[in-house]
Amino acid sequence: MTEPAVQPAVAADAQPGSAADAQHDFAADAQRHRRDAPRHCPRCGASLLGGAGISVEFWQGADRIFHTWCSACRWTGDIIPTIEMTGHEPEHG
Amino acid sequence: MLTAEMNQQLTQIGHGTPMGTLLRRYWYPVAFTRELDEFPVRRTRLLGEDFAVFKTPNGRYGILPEACPHRKASLAYGVVEADGLRCPYHGWMFDHAGRCVDQPAERDDTNFAERVRMEAGRAQELGGLVWAYIGPPPAPELPRFDVYVMDGVRDIGWCELPCSWLQIMENAVDPHHVEWLHGRYFDFVGRHEGFTSPPSFAKKHQKIGFTAFEWGIIKRRVLEGATEENDDWKIGHPLVFPYNMRVGGSGIEQMQIRVPIDDTHTRFMLYSTHAPAGGQFWEQPAVPDYRIPWIDDNGRHIVNYVEGQDIMTWVTQGAIADRTTEHLGRSDIGVTMLRRMFKEQMEMVADGGDPLGVIREPHDRIDLPCERDKFHAGAQFALDFLAMGSSRYSPQLDALRKLHIDAAAHVADGAQAAAS
Repeated sequence: MTEPAVQPAVAADAQPGSAADAQHDFAADAQRHRRDAPRHCPRCGASLLGGAGISVEFWQGADRIFHTWCSACRWTGDIIPTIEMTGHEPEHG
Repeated sequence: MLTAEMNQQLTQIGHGTPMGTLLRRYWYPVAFTRELDEFPVRRTRLLGEDFAVFKTPNGRYGILPEACPHRKASLAYGVVEADGLRCPYHGWMFDHAGRCVDQPAERDDTNFAERVRMEAGRAQELGGLVWAYIGPPPAPELPRFDVYVMDGVRDIGWCELPCSWLQIMENAVDPHHVEWLHGRYFDFVGRHEGFTSPPSFAKKHQKIGFTAFEWGIIKRRVLEGATEENDDWKIGHPLVFPYNMRVGGSGIEQMQIRVPIDDTHTRFMLYSTHAPAGGQFWEQPAVPDYRIPWIDDNGRHIVNYVEGQDIMTWVTQGAIADRTTEHLGRSDIGVTMLRRMFKEQMEMVADGGDPLGVIREPHDRIDLPCERDKFHAGAQFALDFLAMGSSRYSPQLDALRKLHIDAAAHVADGAQAAAS
C-alpha cells in the first residue's frame, strides 16, 4: 500500500531544475506534514492546534514519526502512521 | 519538520510572544566589563528591544530602555551621573529602578515626574561580562557557572551573526555534525588549502544519547575506538538551557553563548577559561575580547577553522531556517528533544512557574558536567583547539599555547619524579 498522493505545490510553469522548482522543493512533504500531524492528544483528546503542544516529524526508513507532546496532560510519545502491516514469521526448520 | 505556525512560535522572540516570554526569564551578557570602564554608557539590543546599559561612578550597573519616555531620544548617549542616567536632550534623569527623578525644565510644584516610570532591568558584572535581566520581577539569581568563576586565563572571542539563535542552539544537540563538518569537510578544505585537519574530529559516531537534567540536556557520544566508559559518553557535555553550551577538555573550559539579539540576529560568544593542571596563570586586569572573522572580503565564509565551519552552516540555513521543508532523521533526535523542551518550558512559564535553569538561591559556583578527555585525544586536543579553532584569532594565542605546553611538561615531570 502506498501513501495517498499529495499534489506538490509547484508553480505550473516551473521547469525541473529551475529556480522556481527549487523554491518548491519538498513542498509536498510540508503539505503532508500539515495534513497528518496529530490534531489531538491520543491520551486526553485535547487539541494540539494553535500552539498547544508540539509535534515534530522525523523519518526513519519508510516511517514518518511524529514526536508529540501535549501541553494539557503532558503526554509525550511517538505517533507513526501505518502504511503497511508487516509481521515476522520464524524461519522454518 | 514543523508547521509554519510552530516554526514561528519557536523563533519569534519579541515582547509578548511565547518564546520571548520564556527567554525573558534569564540573564544575558550585554557588554564587556572593559567597555563600560572605557566609557560608562552604551547601547545594546536584546530580544528585539534596544537598551542603554550603564555603570555609575560607584560601580553599580543599570539597564534602561534606550528611548527616553519624554521625546524618545536615545539614553545610550545619556549622561551618567552618581545615581542614574540623564537624557542628553532635555536632562530628564532616571535612577536604576527606572524612576524619573528629575525634569529640569518642569516646575518644582508638579508631580509629573512621579507619573513617568521606565521598565528598568537589572544588571551586574560576572567574569568580565555585564549581564542583564529584562524580565518580570523579582529577578532570579545570576547563575555563577564554573567557567565564569574558576581560576585560569580567560579569553573571549565573539561575533554577531545574521541568523536566528535557535538554529545555533539546535546545533548544540547535533553530535553527528562533528565527524562531517569538522572531520570530512575540514579534511577536504585542508587538502585544498595545504594544511592537516585534526584527525580526532573525524572519528565516527557509534552511538549518541541525550539526557535531560536540571540545567538542560547532556549530550553523549561513543566514537569509534571508544566505549561507554570514555568521558564522551560517561560524562558528556551539556546544552545549558536556553542559550548556552558548555564544552571543553584537556584543560580548556568553555561556554558557548548565543545571545538572541532579535529574531534574525545572534551574538555568538566563546568564553574560554584556560586552566590546565600544573599551569601558571597570569593576572588579567581586563578579560581580553576579540572579534572572530567569519566572512572574507569576497563575501565567502571562512571555513578553515572549527567555528567558522559552524557559522557557515548556521548562516546558510537562512535568517530563520525553514523547518516546514526540512527532513529530520533518527540521528536528529537531539533536535527533536530540544524543540519539545522549549515548548514544555513555554507552558511552564504560562502556568506561572519558573522555567528550567532559573535559580533563586544565592550560590557561589555551579559546576556543570563536562568531559575532560575530549574525543579521547589526550593533551593534543588543547593544541588542536588553539590552532584549529577561533582561538587562532586571540591576541593571547602564543601565551595560551605556551601555557598548555608548559603545564603538560610540568605534569609529566611530576609524574616522572613520582615514579623514580
